[in-house]
Amino acid sequence: MAKTVDQYFDDLQQTRVWRSIFRSGTGSSTLKRALAIQQNVFLHLFSTKVRTRMLSFSATWYLGTLTLGTFLILVATGIPLMLYYHPSVPQAYADTKDLQFVVSSGMFLRNLHRWSAHAMVFLVFAHMFKVFYRGAYRTPREFNWVIGVVLLLITLLLSYTGYLLPWDQLAYWAITVGSNIASAVPLVGEKIHFLLLGGNAVNANALLRFYVLHCMILPLAAIFFVAIHFWRIRKDGGLYSHASEPATLRAASKDAAAATEAQ
Amino acid sequence: MKEKLRSLWQKLFGDSMRAFGVVSLVFLASMAIAPAKNFFSEWRHYQHGYLSMIRNRSEANTLRRHFQGGIQQIWLPDLGVVDRCTSCHVGLKEPTLTDVAQQPYRKHPVIPHNLDQFGCTVCHRGQGAATTVAEAHSSTLAWEQPILPAKFVESSCGQCHRGSLPGTPQLNLGRNLLSRSGCVHCHAVKLPDGSTVKATDDPPSLSHIGDKTTRQWIYAWLKDPQAYAVTATMPNFKLSDADARDISAFLIANSAPVAGDSVTLSAKPSNDPTAGASLYGESFCASCHAVQNAAGNVVGGDVGPELTRIGSKVKPEWLQAWVRNPRVYDPPTGMPHYRFNDAQVATLTGFLLAKTDSDLLANVHLDAATPEQIAHGKRLVSDYGCASCHEIAGIKKPENFAPELSRIGSKPITQLIFLQGMQHTLPDYIAGKIKQPRAFAPGLKMPQYTFTPAQIDALTTALLSLNDRSYSLPPSLAVSAPPESDYQPAGKAGKLMTDLACFSCHRINGHGGDMAPDLTWEGSSVQREWLVQFFRNPGTLRPALIRRMPKFNLTDGEINELTDYIMTVYQSPSVDRDSMPVSGYAQGQIELGKQLYYGKYSCQGCHIVDTKTDKGYIGPTLTHVGSRLTAAWIYQWMKNPEALRPGTIEPNRAMSDEDARALTAFLISQKGGGQQEAAKK
Repeated sequence: MAKTVDQYFDDLQQTRVWRSIFRSGTGSSTLKRALAIQQNVFLHLFSTKVRTRMLSFSATWYLGTLTLGTFLILVATGIPLMLYYHPSVPQAYADTKDLQFVVSSGMFLRNLHRWSAHAMVFLVFAHMFKVFYRGAYRTPREFNWVIGVVLLLITLLLSYTGYLLPWDQLAYWAITVGSNIASAVPLVGEKIHFLLLGGNAVNANALLRFYVLHCMILPLAAIFFVAIHFWRIRKDGGLYSHASEPATLRAASKDAAAATEAQ
Repeated sequence: MKEKLRSLWQKLFGDSMRAFGVVSLVFLASMAIAPAKNFFSEWRHYQHGYLSMIRNRSEANTLRRHFQGGIQQIWLPDLGVVDRCTSCHVGLKEPTLTDVAQQPYRKHPVIPHNLDQFGCTVCHRGQGAATTVAEAHSSTLAWEQPILPAKFVESSCGQCHRGSLPGTPQLNLGRNLLSRSGCVHCHAVKLPDGSTVKATDDPPSLSHIGDKTTRQWIYAWLKDPQAYAVTATMPNFKLSDADARDISAFLIANSAPVAGDSVTLSAKPSNDPTAGASLYGESFCASCHAVQNAAGNVVGGDVGPELTRIGSKVKPEWLQAWVRNPRVYDPPTGMPHYRFNDAQVATLTGFLLAKTDSDLLANVHLDAATPEQIAHGKRLVSDYGCASCHEIAGIKKPENFAPELSRIGSKPITQLIFLQGMQHTLPDYIAGKIKQPRAFAPGLKMPQYTFTPAQIDALTTALLSLNDRSYSLPPSLAVSAPPESDYQPAGKAGKLMTDLACFSCHRINGHGGDMAPDLTWEGSSVQREWLVQFFRNPGTLRPALIRRMPKFNLTDGEINELTDYIMTVYQSPSVDRDSMPVSGYAQGQIELGKQLYYGKYSCQGCHIVDTKTDKGYIGPTLTHVGSRLTAAWIYQWMKNPEALRPGTIEPNRAMSDEDARALTAFLISQKGGGQQEAAKK
């Protein structure tokens, strides 16, 4: 009798190599399954236990996960794009042209990066709205909301810094306008403007600064805060559900709802 | 139907495993689109087309060996050029593809440049980096400069070549028009070498206009300059009757008389058309001045103004003073000071004054000017920038009156406002602006020119060559124009040469006109006695030419002054005129020279030594060459004519020293034998 796919998978999990990597044994007991999550460096940020109803589409619309997905696409396409791109004034625009005309599937790579970036900004906002209107920012999740706001800013900055890199007219003037807005800050505006551009006008230094921000500093910051974000989901009691809130809070919100109804 | 759909949904997404499988398949298929698009690219299509086109040709093997697949590019870091045009235009360098008319496989016409050193977009514009037809050829969001229409392609030669080239007649004409039509009086044009384009049209000063002409003529001229002279440089400002009336009033009121202009002659202008015509012809007035004949053709030179209706324009006493000595009225004029006697002045003025057109002033009726009209006229003169071209007493030449055109050839299309129905390209815009300048917005001041379509194309070509690349060019690639010097001969002779306006026709040390021979090395070239004779009575050296040196009626003293100066100063360092004798050559050598002349070198194809047998009318007649040129000059000329006179059409025949010496001996013995024969008759 031929083995089923599941049987092959079971066999694989029994091998020494598998065991040496994943440490935890097999089995479907609660303990084993919890260990599988906890003992894995990639998965340990997640809750060891998730209720099935929290995984239903209506609970979160998967917006957080989708945001993470676009972020992963952006990292995956961004790295090959870096292979073709020089952050220098004479070369930057020519490199984007080369991506368009000469690099195999370069246009696909660039467009995927661009549309994913747009999608990520959209999804981050949608995620925030969903969290806000469901009240998922409330105790004990206030800190994770703050982290989320930081992540929103990082996303917007990534989007803004990436906008300059094609070094075309659109990019040049967008950054000129954007940095001039920064210089409208009282007292320190001019300093911020200078710091941002590495000079008084959008030129080679600004391009280099934006490149380093876009490819190094901001992605690392994003990964750092995403890690905290996910870790806090676990620490704050998993994905939000009304039932998961402390009883006192639930009672308080019930009272408040009753009060509004009474009015 | 609904049932069917439901069962389909069940089949595809019924359980998670199926759904995962289906979604994965869809994902894989969509991921395959990008490489597929890559594979079915345009350039690959064209390369396949090329390969199947050459398959049936006799030289298929050679062509296939030359063919390189994949994206091709010409990369020129110095010029910032990455041209991938050769990915589709594969047969550009195949000399055998002369019969192929189908693009993109056509062979490139023969040009003096190597494609690998200059790429494609340097001349043709377009987007070189692109590998699709639309992106490479057209104006897109990301690339403004489309392919330059072929009729303007000479403009690209002008990016590097700042002088005129034999292969770019349209560009040369355009540049010539740019300075000759007065464009640069109002529009500054800075060249990449830092100089500015100078106007060559020499518009007259209007400070003394009242001496020269009447207010009625000025009015008629302002209304339509071309009605007076079809070749007039002055454009039509489309003035209203009132504006023309006021400007003419101001100009006459503003004019101050020149002393000496009102001196009347002892002899009255004679009305002898035969004598007048023959003096006009003898003085070679037509070399510079044109006259429209009965058939409407303009005949004559374009150095001076057209004289068709001169009698309707000038006042008789002014014309007399002018013909006698033009330098009294206008010291820097290009008109020579002929030393006419009173009778000749009377004959010539009488002849010219008869050239009238009764229609010109028939409808001009002007009342006496009021002070308001004069004041208004002055304001109009400033408004229209008249002083940009003309010197007008009391009005300053305006600075930056019109937009600078230095980089007009790279002007972004987004900054242009087009007329309705006009193609949105830069060449169309420039040509449209030249053709109908006032149509682009109300209140524009640029006047209406009367250019032919060919002239408009030429001007557009010249303006397109003034682009960013011409300024950012590596200095090693720029081919500068021979600099226009402001050479002025010194001393008494120099004064005399200015008076005779030698530089209106002759060029010396890089300064002067090109109608007559360059005289820079004249002192090495000719014998003194001949030069004296020539000044006294200029004969023709080239019977095929209508133009020749006029007779200036110089005194012996003046002739000596000029001859001494020319013989002493205008000497070539490479020709020592005393190194070879002008006579006394052995008969054998002369005979050998004659054989070489008629045999090996066949000089009689262009020159005439024996007026009976020779038929060469291209070069100068050589029957008297032995008494005209020095032997040393002839010898050096035989060896390398280009070294003595750059641009001469005399070919360099790479003669041996012996041949050159023999030919020199033969030619120097030609001292006007024909004359003796003529005397015999």
